Amino acid sequence: MAILKGQRYYKLKLSIDNNNYQEIKMITNLHNHIQAVHNQSIDIVEYTAKALEQAKAINKEYNYFTTISEELALSQAQNLKKTPTGRLAGVFLSVKDAICVQGVESTAGSKILKGYKPLFNATVIQRCINEGAIILGKTSQDEFGFGGFAVNTEIVPKNPFNKDRVTGGSSGGSAGITQKADFAHLALGESTGGSIVNPALFCGVYGLCPTYGRVSRYGLLDYGSSLDKIGPMAKTIEDIASLLNIIAGHDDKEATSATQKTEDYTKYLNRPVRKMKIGIIKDLFGDVFGDGVDENITKAIYKKIEQLESEEVICEEVSMPITNKYGIPAYYIIATAEASTNLAKYCGIRYGAADDLKSNYNEYFTKFREANFSKEAKRRIMLGTFTRMAGYRDAYYTKAMKVRTKIIEEYQHLFKKYDALISPVMPMLAPKFSELEKLTPAQHYMADIMTAPPNLAGLPHINVPIGMHNDQALGLMLTTNHFEEGKLIQIGSAIR
Amino acid sequence: MKMKFTADIIIGTEVHVQLNTNTKLFCSCATKGEDIPNSRCCEICLGMPGSKPLVNQKAIEYALKLALALHCKINPDVIFSRKVYFYPDLAKNYQITQFEVPLGENGCIILDSGRKVKIERIHLEEDPASLIHPAGMEKSQYTLIDYNRSGIPLCEIVTAPEMHSPEEAREFMNKLKIILQYLKIFDENVCVIKADANISIKESGYIRSEIKNITGFKEIEDALLYEIQRQKKAIKDNEKLIQDTRGWNPDNKTTIRLRTKETEADYGYIIDPDLVKIDITEKFVKDIQKEMPELPEQKIHKFIHTHKINEQDAKILAAEYILAELFEQIAVEVSPQLAAKWLRRELIRVVNYNKMNFSQLKIDVKHLIELFSMIEKKEITETVGQDIMNQLIIKQFSPKEYVEKNNLKTVQDIAQLESLCKEIISKNAQVAQDYKNGKQEALHFLIGQVMRQMKGKADAKALKEMFEKMIKDE
Repeated sequence: MAILKGQRYYKLKLSIDNNNYQEIKMITNLHNHIQAVHNQSIDIVEYTAKALEQAKAINKEYNYFTTISEELALSQAQNLKKTPTGRLAGVFLSVKDAICVQGVESTAGSKILKGYKPLFNATVIQRCINEGAIILGKTSQDEFGFGGFAVNTEIVPKNPFNKDRVTGGSSGGSAGITQKADFAHLALGESTGGSIVNPALFCGVYGLCPTYGRVSRYGLLDYGSSLDKIGPMAKTIEDIASLLNIIAGHDDKEATSATQKTEDYTKYLNRPVRKMKIGIIKDLFGDVFGDGVDENITKAIYKKIEQLESEEVICEEVSMPITNKYGIPAYYIIATAEASTNLAKYCGIRYGAADDLKSNYNEYFTKFREANFSKEAKRRIMLGTFTRMAGYRDAYYTKAMKVRTKIIEEYQHLFKKYDALISPVMPMLAPKFSELEKLTPAQHYMADIMTAPPNLAGLPHINVPIGMHNDQALGLMLTTNHFEEGKLIQIGSAIR
Repeated sequence: MKMKFTADIIIGTEVHVQLNTNTKLFCSCATKGEDIPNSRCCEICLGMPGSKPLVNQKAIEYALKLALALHCKINPDVIFSRKVYFYPDLAKNYQITQFEVPLGENGCIILDSGRKVKIERIHLEEDPASLIHPAGMEKSQYTLIDYNRSGIPLCEIVTAPEMHSPEEAREFMNKLKIILQYLKIFDENVCVIKADANISIKESGYIRSEIKNITGFKEIEDALLYEIQRQKKAIKDNEKLIQDTRGWNPDNKTTIRLRTKETEADYGYIIDPDLVKIDITEKFVKDIQKEMPELPEQKIHKFIHTHKINEQDAKILAAEYILAELFEQIAVEVSPQLAAKWLRRELIRVVNYNKMNFSQLKIDVKHLIELFSMIEKKEITETVGQDIMNQLIIKQFSPKEYVEKNNLKTVQDIAQLESLCKEIISKNAQVAQDYKNGKQEALHFLIGQVMRQMKGKADAKALKEMFEKMIKDE
């Protein structure tokens, strides 16, 4: 299939005149679009040109892309025109910047990787390309995933419903373009502590974070390697299942990749939910974030719980005292400890940005890192370095690892009885940029109270959009046991 | 906790051995081959963002063999950690190594004196890239990095501070080398072995210096000898010794201070989250044990008790894997005593003369068997045998055919020899007289004369008897 070799330039050769291509009506339904590509009833090159044009227009207003990979997209489209095959034939895919696309600048939203064009595709990218997906571009995100609002970066994406509000993060660009794209579109996000479901919530789309290891991390620019997971983002749950079908599965290039068999996740769509058991994590509806959870969220979620109960789903309140008390600190210790080692390699020598190689090595890399990491990156590197130093290691890093085990046990205990857990995704609705500025770093971190624990436990979870409150999207989070992504699709598709 | 030492000298070492696997520890790049800089590297050993390591199973097997050979307790899990420090030879600015739980613990090597040197731990780690300073370490304006070495598997062997002289340290290293040879996990011609050595002396109250990066087996003794002198002199001169890390300069045979304890790095180890725990099952260990070759101690025992050669010969043969192998194959065909004698005396002599090491030796065991059996059956003389040995090490040929072609069989014709001896005596009457008068060397001269004419094909012992009789009877 089409892989961009080096930096060859592909000129767009349109077989029809420009006016006609302006007239194209894009097919938004994924299934219909793929069929049209397969039976060649549309010219995918023209459609790609149009999609690129639309993406550029959206990007101008909303900052969803760090790079729009026009050349790659058109070359792929040309190949696809010749061989119109694949389960994602002609589907436009937006990719979080942290996921490597061969030959396309991949920076994880960081200045320090400016100019880094990977020599290889991430496994997920290769799988999507093999199925005929067209790479639209790399999406904006918090630098290396460090943040929940996609503001810790130079290109700050704006909320699709109100440009004064945040998209959420860190996969903000992927969530935003998923909401705005008016064509057959899918996105890849990545979550370390909530970076898929959080922006999915604020942008009103579905976002599924799979079990740790279910989707290969090969080619992902690491944040916290024991926590990072790549997952699908889409406007419909059907599309989530379709993309998961392609990216899930063992990868022999990656040691933490799970060997468990995959399933056809689309089979779970609209499967009856009668007699399923759901635990409502009641602690997460209480006073967890200063003023407590936004009551509009609580109301909307309980309405959906009532709907499920009316379909004979058994919903009971449960409590997770250890998880909700220690989840955030354990998460931030482990994530930053790992991040501080993962980010050590960025020193301006082998790839990405570079300065004049004068002075000695120590001076050079110190200055370079100082100039090219953002404030939040530096905060997390320092925090993470501190927690793994001799003398502090046992008190922080090692203890956090033990807490992690306890948290997994607390979840496992509940999953003996319940098929899924239900909770809010975030304690607040999409805030305005101006409101964010008032929060301290610790408050920023506390906002992850609902999403950090399932991430820490490596459990699959999903944001299910459940309507709007004025210009703010509402959603709920479902969490299931390891490798039970199918149940997320099943219950998620029952909530309408 | 301060250890209670009583010996005059306390030495401990950390040895790094490059394992002879085909591919690197965490990627499939070749460990050997072309030496064009940066030709044997990939996204993984270059630490490219997004790449992830995968463990080379063979390297685990090799390290496990070594751990078993050194009588270590094998831990049930292989866990890798990140050792973080910023240095340009590290692709990721951290090294993947083992920290919390090493592969093996509590082993030992037994010295000739019978004393055990405790092995505290054995673990696996990746070799960093090599740094090249084109104008020399001190003068160079820039440094080049060659990643061909980046990711080659290293096995680190850490001893307890239980050696008491530089000679012992050298013996330890030699013993280790022999074991590595036997296990076939180390190729002397390609792989590098390096040691860091800790040394302290009684006079200072055991304030220790660590000498870094000593390459090779002989250097360790030199470095330690220098360091003992340096420390003793410092005390004599009333200098205060402080714990430090020093570098060994093999050119001028001195050590220089690199850093003191106060500036010791804190590596901030964490378990490498890109890798998973690997189970070392009992079955796996048993399978490895089955594959393990006989080790030097077992060989020595066998040579003495089965092949009935003397202890000294047995030890010398067992100290070179290739010699031991040759001996075992030859001893089935010819007398073990003769084989032992010829291997340890003649083969070692020609190898040394040609400045070779045994791993470079290309010799067909069949040819040695032919040669030794001709000697055993007295078909050729020892002199002819030695001459053939000299040539066998350079080129391969059949000694049997060579002897026939060149008519080198020992002359058995007594009459011919007797007439020749008579001729020699008559030509050298004065020498014969000297012998008669008690000058023993004179006889050697006479024998030599016959040998020359016979091109070494005469039995020297028979000649001696012949001359003795003739001169006596005169």
